[in-house]
Amino acid sequence: MSAPEPEIMAHPARLKAVLAVLFAALTVAGGVPLFKHRHYGMTFVAGPGVTKVIKLSDYSPGLKGSFTDPDVFILEGAEPGGKALLMADTHANEPAGLLAVLIMIENTVVEKGTLYIIPTLNVSGSRNTKAGDGYPLYFDIPTDWGKVRFRMGTRDASPLESWPDPDVYIHYPEKQMLSYLDVRNTNRTWPGRPDGPPMERVTYAAMELMRKEKVDIAFDLHGAETMFPVTNCIVAPQKSAKIATLAAMTVKAMEGYDSHVEPSPQNFRGLSHREIGDYSDTLPFLLEAPIPFLDQPTGPKTVKLLLDGKDPFLLSLAGKKKLFVAYDEKGWPMDKRVGQHMSTTLEIIRQFSKKTPDKAIRLTGAPKYADLVRDGAGHYYRDPAKAAPDRIHYE
Amino acid sequence: MTLQIGAILLLMVAAYAVASFKKLSVELSILAAAVAGGLGGAFLKTPPIAELPRHLVEGMFPYLDVMLVFSTATIFMALVNESGGVNYVVRGAIRLFYNVRVVALLVLMIIILIPGALTGAGSVSLLVVGAPVALALKALGIPERKVAAILFIVAGLAAAAPPVNIWAMILCAGTAIPYVGFTYTLGIPVLILGTFTILWFGLKKEGGMDKAAALAALPPAPPGMNGWRVLMPFLVFFGLIIANRIWPFATPIFGLPLEFTAAALTAWLVSPKRLHVLKLARETMQRLLPLLATMIVVGMLQQIMTATGVRGMISYSVIIIPLVLLFISLAVIIPVSEGVLTYGAAAILGIPLIWFFDSIGLHATVAIAGLSILWPLGDGLPPTALIGRLSVMVSEYKGTYWSFLRQTWLPWLVITITGILMVVYSAKLAFLVRWSM
Amino acid sequence: MNIIMILYYVITAGLVLLLGWNFLRERKSANDLILGLLVLVPLVLRLLRVK
Ligand SMILES: [Zn+2]
Repeated sequence: MSAPEPEIMAHPARLKAVLAVLFAALTVAGGVPLFKHRHYGMTFVAGPGVTKVIKLSDYSPGLKGSFTDPDVFILEGAEPGGKALLMADTHANEPAGLLAVLIMIENTVVEKGTLYIIPTLNVSGSRNTKAGDGYPLYFDIPTDWGKVRFRMGTRDASPLESWPDPDVYIHYPEKQMLSYLDVRNTNRTWPGRPDGPPMERVTYAAMELMRKEKVDIAFDLHGAETMFPVTNCIVAPQKSAKIATLAAMTVKAMEGYDSHVEPSPQNFRGLSHREIGDYSDTLPFLLEAPIPFLDQPTGPKTVKLLLDGKDPFLLSLAGKKKLFVAYDEKGWPMDKRVGQHMSTTLEIIRQFSKKTPDKAIRLTGAPKYADLVRDGAGHYYRDPAKAAPDRIHYE
Repeated sequence: MTLQIGAILLLMVAAYAVASFKKLSVELSILAAAVAGGLGGAFLKTPPIAELPRHLVEGMFPYLDVMLVFSTATIFMALVNESGGVNYVVRGAIRLFYNVRVVALLVLMIIILIPGALTGAGSVSLLVVGAPVALALKALGIPERKVAAILFIVAGLAAAAPPVNIWAMILCAGTAIPYVGFTYTLGIPVLILGTFTILWFGLKKEGGMDKAAALAALPPAPPGMNGWRVLMPFLVFFGLIIANRIWPFATPIFGLPLEFTAAALTAWLVSPKRLHVLKLARETMQRLLPLLATMIVVGMLQQIMTATGVRGMISYSVIIIPLVLLFISLAVIIPVSEGVLTYGAAAILGIPLIWFFDSIGLHATVAIAGLSILWPLGDGLPPTALIGRLSVMVSEYKGTYWSFLRQTWLPWLVITITGILMVVYSAKLAFLVRWSM
Repeated sequence: MNIIMILYYVITAGLVLLLGWNFLRERKSANDLILGLLVLVPLVLRLLRVK
């Protein structure tokens, strides 16, 4: 292996200096973009409906720190009513949820009831990248006035916030053993602890929000691979199942897209749809929209694939019946996925309001599936240049 | 698109071949393949050239924590070895069991299994206990070629053994399946296959050494070494692990690298002879360098393959193989992919395979266990041949690499059949997972 | 940052020192020089809290 290499090692000091400079250059050239990504702020404009923006740590101080503590946008109606919590970027490499809640933050006005919106639940994950998986660092959504730039995050919080990983992650409080990685996965650390590992603190604070504010329904917006059995669906525990089923049937009949209901498994712990239901009075719903970008057998991991969901390998696999969703040349465009998240959320809110009229939530200015497919998500984003400075938030 | 990705793949293979031809090391050849793939991709802007340094640097990170485990574990075991602990145990085994050959062989097998089972790396087994165990096996009258074969197969099984199996961990993390239920699902096959291997190679005494000569051939344990001093560092290590398991909510997360570091400090403190810790640590890092660098370049290769679509195309090609053919071809696909990519293979091929198996009603956990006893075989295959090369080195076998590899054919075959059957009949073996919970 | 995380930075720094020391002492193998630098890059970036 390391036989002497006489010629090249004739001047070891010189060789070492050259190599060191070369690697230092690579370290800087590769490290700076990663550093910039981690510190990049996405620009969000608080729309007319936003009445307050607070920190999630207001409900549990344990998660203070700029890379773990997400903003909570509150949209309070003039008339009291029910309360809903919307969470996106639980997995920050599944961005349709983030795009959907940003439309809500910038456009929706609540008339009755209250919306709490956490656009980046796992802040650290949204500032992390998936090493080895070659994602782009950012993606741009075209708008009527320019474009909005989003960070492409990943599923797990960064080790810079949560290090080391355990040998196995033991779920609190059910003691189920999970993969070591799941200690950084905010869809395995529910219901969490105020002083546990960093991501348990995040989910605990969200639980506290739901318990203290008596939130009626909670949404956790995700994306799932087309080859993953649980995709394009609403995952709901028993107590949310009826509303979920009604919503799924209604969107199919009225808006023409599929989204079936999957029961939340009893014995797979740490997931929002399981633990929010078990550890609070809130009704949880986890929404999955397909995201071909995350599938293994795809072409290059480009922004284009992320946004249009078109891939020749997946198309071929669809023909061999290996996918769990319908798939054709049209792919799965981001606007369609954002539209599904919007419409399913709105429909669940409507069904809940119908069932419990005293806790109804009524809102305006939320586009639906057909609107998003027609106009694109970018049509609904506001130009920060035209917004009052105090309405601009860097996430 | 297939054509373009195919061209990038060819470019990578060509770069690898040229680098190997120029007598560059395996690690540098993989690096060459990664850089070539990145440059090829840049032509098609997948990814754009401006992103290439970022991709290369980001690709160095997937196995950072594994590298810390390797480093701290190997330094720990080097300290135990240097203090005479391993010699003490090996001598004890020969003294007590020389005349009960089966027991002696089994004790030696367990000694190889433990470091790999704890760290998930067969190489750690070989680096830390390989040399004394090889001596003991030779003292038992087993020829060098067979000693190398035993070390290779058992070290591979050690890597697959619970509690830490890195292939299974990568697959579980990538498929959102909890890393639980492997204790018996992996433990039982590993013990059976290990026992078979060591008895197959070792039961027949081929040399003519008696017990006294065998003990004389082994290096002496230093004066003052005793069972307690050998045990202490391991007690600290297991104590920390077990404390985390028994009181998970009262103890902080230590993580394997810190647990090994604590055990290493204990080994240093209780050693009967003065240890030159810094020198030992430095030499250990030097010995580990090719292994650590392999983790780095494989991560880079993985990142480039994914960004360019090569990884997707390969996993597509595997998924479209008809089922029966797929089961049979696992015998080739799994070890060969490991030989080229080491752990990267689990991510590239394993994740879509497990999703696919899951969707046709196989039991994912058992299927993962089945695949992960096949993967270590690939560590004997070039280009990387990490464990194979180490086995030859540690056993001081002087023949050609192929003559060593040929020697392993029967355990290789038995392990292959076991692994494939575990995948095919995974649903029927689900009880192993229930026992393990 | 809690005490255990600080210890991990200490362990990482220790490995960086060992690898750096080996790099400086290496006289024979250009291969090992490159491998040493490869391994150092992510460790250094972790110490700098870049990734
Ligand atoms: Zn998700």
